[in-house]
Amino acid sequence: MFGEEELVKIHKERATLISYIITAAFGLILSRLWYLQVYKGETLHNYSIQNRLRKEVVWAPRGLIYSRDDQLLVDNIPRFDAILTPQFLMDKEETLGKLSRILDIDMDSIKSILKKNSNQATYRPIIIKKNISFEELAQIETQNADLPGVSVDTFISREYRDKEVGAHLLGYISEISQTQLPKLRERDKMDYRLGDFIGQFGIEEQLDKYLRGENGHEFVEVDARGRRKRYINTDNLFKGIEDEKPVLGMNVKLTIDRDMQIAAFDALKDKVGGVIALDIDSGEVLTMVSRPSFDPSQFSRGLTPEYWRSLITNKEHPLRDRNIQEHFSPGSTFKAITGIAAFEEGEIDENTEVFCNGSFRLGRKVYHCWKRAGHGPTNLVKAIRESCNVYFQKAANRMDIDTLAKYAKAFGFGTRTGISLPREVAGLIPTKEWKKKRYGQEWQPGETLSCAIGQSYVLASTIQLASAYAAIANGGKIYRPYVVKDIYDTNGELVKTFTPEVLSKLNMKNPKTLKFVREGLYQVVNNPKGTAWYRRGQGILMAGKTGTSQVRSASADKVYAKCENMDYEYRHHALFVGFAPYDNPKIAAAAIVEHGCHGSSAATPVVEAVISQYMKKYHPDIYLKNLDKDKVLRDNWIRSLKAQAPAPAEELDE
Amino acid sequence: MSQRFIEFFKRYDFSFIGSMSAIFLVGILNLYSATHAQAHDGLDDLYKSQLMWFLISVTVAVGISFFNPKTFERFSYAGYALTLFLVFLVMLMGKVGMGAQRWLVIGPIRMQPSEFMKMGLVLAMARFFTKVNPERELGFKELILPGIIVMVPAIMVILQPDLGTGMLLLFIFAMMIFYKRLKWKTIATLGVIGVVSGVLMYNFGLREYQRKRIHTFIDPYEDAKGSGYNAIQSEIAIGSGRLFGKGFKNSSQASLNYLPENHTDFVFAIFNEEHGFFGSVFLIILYLVFFMRLIWLASSVQRFYDSVLVIGIMSIFFWHTFINMSMVSGLLPIVGIPLPLMSYGGSSMLTFGVGVGIATSISNSRNFFN
Repeated sequence: MFGEEELVKIHKERATLISYIITAAFGLILSRLWYLQVYKGETLHNYSIQNRLRKEVVWAPRGLIYSRDDQLLVDNIPRFDAILTPQFLMDKEETLGKLSRILDIDMDSIKSILKKNSNQATYRPIIIKKNISFEELAQIETQNADLPGVSVDTFISREYRDKEVGAHLLGYISEISQTQLPKLRERDKMDYRLGDFIGQFGIEEQLDKYLRGENGHEFVEVDARGRRKRYINTDNLFKGIEDEKPVLGMNVKLTIDRDMQIAAFDALKDKVGGVIALDIDSGEVLTMVSRPSFDPSQFSRGLTPEYWRSLITNKEHPLRDRNIQEHFSPGSTFKAITGIAAFEEGEIDENTEVFCNGSFRLGRKVYHCWKRAGHGPTNLVKAIRESCNVYFQKAANRMDIDTLAKYAKAFGFGTRTGISLPREVAGLIPTKEWKKKRYGQEWQPGETLSCAIGQSYVLASTIQLASAYAAIANGGKIYRPYVVKDIYDTNGELVKTFTPEVLSKLNMKNPKTLKFVREGLYQVVNNPKGTAWYRRGQGILMAGKTGTSQVRSASADKVYAKCENMDYEYRHHALFVGFAPYDNPKIAAAAIVEHGCHGSSAATPVVEAVISQYMKKYHPDIYLKNLDKDKVLRDNWIRSLKAQAPAPAEELDE
Repeated sequence: MSQRFIEFFKRYDFSFIGSMSAIFLVGILNLYSATHAQAHDGLDDLYKSQLMWFLISVTVAVGISFFNPKTFERFSYAGYALTLFLVFLVMLMGKVGMGAQRWLVIGPIRMQPSEFMKMGLVLAMARFFTKVNPERELGFKELILPGIIVMVPAIMVILQPDLGTGMLLLFIFAMMIFYKRLKWKTIATLGVIGVVSGVLMYNFGLREYQRKRIHTFIDPYEDAKGSGYNAIQSEIAIGSGRLFGKGFKNSSQASLNYLPENHTDFVFAIFNEEHGFFGSVFLIILYLVFFMRLIWLASSVQRFYDSVLVIGIMSIFFWHTFINMSMVSGLLPIVGIPLPLMSYGGSSMLTFGVGVGIATSISNSRNFFN
């Protein structure tokens, strides 16, 4: 055995070896430093003083977005900023003087811009004027030699051709913020950097990975006057310096029609609401517009604080999409579903007559019809046409809520439609079990009556309404709505194409169900007694249903109060859902106008405008034929009016 | 009383704390120079918190220097277990928080347990080699147990993922077994196996994207193109310093922000740019003096445990210094290893303080108990 001290002694040799190793290691480092600082010192010194080698990102142009009719919706447009790098300034007064003349801004404001940025490092360029004109650009470029420190920064601005039209659908791109960075890196497993642009809303967000492309980079030398030139690796001083070209983003073709978008946007002028139109035989979204809106181009440039403030302080919430990200009581538009449920369950048939005296008493509670005097004897078609509450409440009273819910869910209510856009809401179809879970209470039969006319717990979005009515029109097929038709790479090669997807097919037990519901919907618009007769437009032979969504549940004395006399935020939301043409349906559309009071006067014209535009553009022959049919309808009506005593031309409420 | 006090001071070994302070002085001036122009990034006050960490570390060092070295021996395995537990905790919390996690946050304190793990490993190794066949030369068989002691924390740290620190643990281990008289035959075999398998793996066993993944594994947020660029800028900074440097606070590369981590991993580049080759010679001599003094101490103690422990402490700081200087000057790929006392960072400073405290305590024990 060794003693402790002997142990230390026998290891002394190794300790000496270690000290040699360490000395040699630092010798190696010193020789490397000698190589860099003495042997290559002059060259590297030049790089640091005169030529500043920089790696600059070459942004990949983002893919373009086209409408279904190949009209450009979103474009990339080069824009220029005049920038100044204080580090390279020589004669400050002279340069600023020249610059102020070229850009037509006075010296003081340039100086104040510089002053505001004086705490940052002098090598950082300061933007003097954003978005300069081509003339200003040309002047700066030609006088480059006399303007040390001044240069032009080119950037590609994402421009949305129709600005606010369909902004919620197209979305926007904006810079990744400090707080988003870690989350997005984790989500996408991408090496994002601060300031990278990324789609943050709508199509731009959903298709970001296709649209984005891949940034490249190039090496530039910046000389003592701030001028740049491409770096060419002639002396092989550095390894790994290679430019990389960006990979262009892919182009996208939407199912959206640009002209319909514009028509929809105009129809919603001065209103708060949204409209969505679907192709009933595919689920393609033809139109999707929401108002108030915002200008997505502003986001790609970095929002001005004023613009951002104006968006978030606006009480109407311009950033909120009204079609898929909002739900509300569907009101009378839901009666079609109640009618189908009762018909299929055999609780009613086309001849079932209900007497409406203006109210319906269940237990101790009285449920009013919107028409105080009542509709008198009413069958299904009349009930839909004139939107009789009592009829549907009596029909619903024979079923229970779970039966009603089964049919509503079959039509896609209460679940997301599955459109590939972010943040879709699901709406709500209540059941007994749901209420038990949510409130811990038993279901009250009276609640079924409210649900039957689309009030109470029932919530739906316009996209769900349009999809359900499309199913009524096409015989019961529920499609997954979609907005993207094709994705092309930069050579025009098809990368991905989207085809219709049938989510479910409703099997109607009774072949007469849809027939009579459709007939009712037809008469809503095309019968003088229908609730939408006065707003039906021309040549589209639309079928549909008006609706009023109560914002606050009205007490008995308020039921008959005139909506226009209420405070704005208490006024009802107006709804209309329809499809056209009645005899050969092609398109279904739903609109909501918040606080619009009447479905007929506020929402019907919006749907009408969208469908008219569609029929004129895609089915001009049918449109012309229907114009004639329409004329016959109107002539008959006028003749009948003349035959009778002239009725007061009152605006129908529902 | 005063006689004893003077006697105590005469015998107290100030060389380690002194050496630490000298390097720190250079370090904090350099840190100030590197960051003073970065007010916009909120970095210009870093030197103050660095100073605070230094004062804490010196206090810790002085405190530890009053311990009897036998205490360290007694608590060796406990220290190892504690640091291992902390590393494990980070792993667990990293799982919960998603993504790379190197920090442990307890109230206002943020610490990097992998930093303390190095010290825990050194303590455990010293104890093991003192107790188990201290006089034998080591062969493969004798390496199995110590191998497990190092591989458990190394793999855990690598999984964090922090490949740099994980490799560092292995390097520290390597130097300690070398000191503990590994057989030359074993060294040669290990070396050959290491080199051959490494080269084979890299060239044939991995596909291009896997190689890329290794690069991103080393530092998840640094793409291969980007890190190459940093290395280039670092070399430009060093080279442009030439013989005498550009002078204090005159680093253009630093203030140009070409070097993204210039207050942590790239401080040595800034130092070179401002003080040139001669400045670096001076700095390297400061480090060498510190290391040589430790090696001298390892051969002058009476207890074998103290000797191995001192070599372990020395190797922690040596590897940090060597790897950082090498990567900054382009000899090694960029991995996130800080330069002791020069780079900004509290945990690493504290580890240094603990190391210096232990060394001082061991050195004092020679004088006091003789």
